[in-house]
Amino acid sequence: MKKLVKMLTAVLLVTLIALPLFAGGKQEKQTAPASVETASKKEVQIRIMGYGGQDPAVVVRLLDEVIGEGLEKEGIKLSYEPLEGDYNAALFNALSAGTAADIFYIPVETAPGIIATGKVLPLNGLVDTSPFIDSLVEAYTFNGKIYGIAKDFNTLALHYNKDLFDKAGVAYPDENDNWDTLREKIGKLAGIGDNIYGISLPADYARFGAFAFAAGWKPFDEKGNTNLLDPKFKTAVEYYTGMVREGIAVQPSDLGQGWTGGAFATEQVGIAVEGAWILGFLRNEAPNIQYGTTFMPVGPSGERGNFLYTVAYGINTDSPNREAAVKVLEALTSEEAQQFVLEQGLAIPSRKALVDNPFLKKGTPEAEANRVVFEGSRMGFVYGYQFGKVGTDWFRPINSALATIMTGEKDIDTALKQAQSEIEALIERAK
Amino acid sequence: MKVKSRETIAALMFLAPFLIILGIFFVYACVRAVIFSFTDYNLFNTPRWVGLANYTALFREANFLRALRNSILYSIIVTTIQTIGALIIASILNAKLKGLNLFRSAYYMPSIASSVVITLIFLWMYQRRGLFNYLATQLLRYAPIILIFLGFTLVIQTVLVLYERLRGFPAKWFDPALLVTSILLSAAGTFVVSILGLVSLREVPPVDFIWLQTKQQIPSRPEFLAMPIPLIAIMIQNIFTTIPTFMLIFLAALKDVPISYYEAASLDGATAIQKFFHITVPAVQPVLFLVVALGMIGTLQMFDQVAIFGNAVPLESVITLAYFVYNRMFPGAQLPEVGLASAAAIFLALFTLTLVVLQRTIIKSEVK
Repeated sequence: MKKLVKMLTAVLLVTLIALPLFAGGKQEKQTAPASVETASKKEVQIRIMGYGGQDPAVVVRLLDEVIGEGLEKEGIKLSYEPLEGDYNAALFNALSAGTAADIFYIPVETAPGIIATGKVLPLNGLVDTSPFIDSLVEAYTFNGKIYGIAKDFNTLALHYNKDLFDKAGVAYPDENDNWDTLREKIGKLAGIGDNIYGISLPADYARFGAFAFAAGWKPFDEKGNTNLLDPKFKTAVEYYTGMVREGIAVQPSDLGQGWTGGAFATEQVGIAVEGAWILGFLRNEAPNIQYGTTFMPVGPSGERGNFLYTVAYGINTDSPNREAAVKVLEALTSEEAQQFVLEQGLAIPSRKALVDNPFLKKGTPEAEANRVVFEGSRMGFVYGYQFGKVGTDWFRPINSALATIMTGEKDIDTALKQAQSEIEALIERAK
Repeated sequence: MKVKSRETIAALMFLAPFLIILGIFFVYACVRAVIFSFTDYNLFNTPRWVGLANYTALFREANFLRALRNSILYSIIVTTIQTIGALIIASILNAKLKGLNLFRSAYYMPSIASSVVITLIFLWMYQRRGLFNYLATQLLRYAPIILIFLGFTLVIQTVLVLYERLRGFPAKWFDPALLVTSILLSAAGTFVVSILGLVSLREVPPVDFIWLQTKQQIPSRPEFLAMPIPLIAIMIQNIFTTIPTFMLIFLAALKDVPISYYEAASLDGATAIQKFFHITVPAVQPVLFLVVALGMIGTLQMFDQVAIFGNAVPLESVITLAYFVYNRMFPGAQLPEVGLASAAAIFLALFTLTLVVLQRTIIKSEVK
């Protein structure tokens, strides 16, 4: 009797451990008919993987209304598969398991890792990259190979509250402003009330970095190292955190807000440093704010600084329908597709030709903001929002240094020294 | 015999759905993780056997050592406080009071809400201008009035008790009836004093205690005992959310303690505290073992709070073993370090097991 139970348990356990093996085998069989289908040129299904959140609504419309019809005539059917939650983790899993889509998003900040998997098809010779903005193509070029075509992008700009500036009798920020004149305007604006601040600045590299670039600082040298003790970096830290210490700038969290856009919507701050994504938010959350948008100020280097935030489409090397996937990629980044994305007010298209787009010259505050964000991509020192192999952990030491300086917990030199040793350890670790 | 074996097969059949799921997602996954922990696998290469290299590499990782320290401190402190807190609240709620069900439900609320929601709310309260700092500021502002009120209460209560004793009544120092009288009288007194302008609110700058974006540690030395403030913030939040769950388990155990024990103790003149230590605690000892074991396992595996606190706190201040595993599995812009992550996961599992076994020798699951 006992023997029987033992045997049964053993058999069961062995079956259990072996089960997934069969499951794996089955899956391969499933993919096989798909390639047969390609061979017979019947109908090809191209899957696209991307972000969850608000992306599905827009992308599905793009697929259905803009590019779907033309591709359907060629026998290509499209479907969008949003990956909710941690996109990077989900994509790595899918790539490793062989279930990743034919085309997927490649966020610029994690691109080196995704490309290192060897599952991203180099597009040299397959897609013409000349119509796209050079810095965007560069962000996806590794060792001379181009791995992704940017679907759209964003840069930072100064969005200012016209009513507050009018009330204070201060001239609006404009493209002639440098750090000093901007600081003066911010100081004057902050003077009009106890709970009014000139600008909202978070302890976040994603905003601060643009100021450091304007000071002439580079995030990485040729060897891939980072120097936070560079006097240029320190100048930027002094400027950025100094305004908060002085009380003319405020961290969004001190107004109970999660980001600068939220702080701007409270109408307690004069300027928010954000990209075009703030427009949709303001349209919904603060429709009464009269705002204007202008370029980032000119820094001590005599140039402006800016980030390039972008996501590209890449093609899976394991895709059974490579040719069709290239066609879809071209359609996704075509002018008509980009026009659609632009008019949705979410991001700026990645094609050079769109600078003359009538949509950007309509003269409305939103169109003006889009134009400023678009042109920001080629003004002064513009770097991709990319951190080599370290990924987004790279800026954690900088963020916490900024925070400890802003709160007065540490002085600038001590905080930067500590951040430098931490960032060196991170880079060393990633190599 | 035949009937019995048929019964066994039937039992196994009924268990099958559960066993299959357990087998795939636990046994199989666990075996794979053990194998991976001895290889240099990165999800995209052919795994190569590297022996114990991953395990030795673990102890050279600064973040792993921090995670180990954080996890141990977190586990010991949170388990201790939440167990004691849950037992105390349970024994209070075990009393016969009016509206008890209301209190029981109210206390249980934090455990029903999802930990993500609670964490987000706490994240908001921990901000520099958040609720905690606001309350602290208010407390300091009202300090003079609060002190006057407490002083009045103390004086009036003393006078009343002494007066009663002079009259020959055996009044206790905390006699409820007298206490109510003195509280009402001193409230009136404080009101008069403040209207006359003899005391006023203090002008204090807003309390600016930084809970999140800080690298301060308490105590600042030695390094292996230092608790980063953001970790303390997570501890407070976790204690708040898990006390009610364990309170419920204790409450169930307390229901089995015969009321006659307490009555007999009362007749013998035992105080409430004596009853708690000599009746309640021994009675719930087996449950105590369960609660401590569950608490330890739960705290050692803490992950979600760290993930949600995310960029709001310096990573090394709050990193735990479970988060370390995740962080190495999906490390920014590099290939996953499956080998190292698996080794850390296996270490965490063995470590948890050891602690629970050790704990067993301290708290016996049976009363002798």
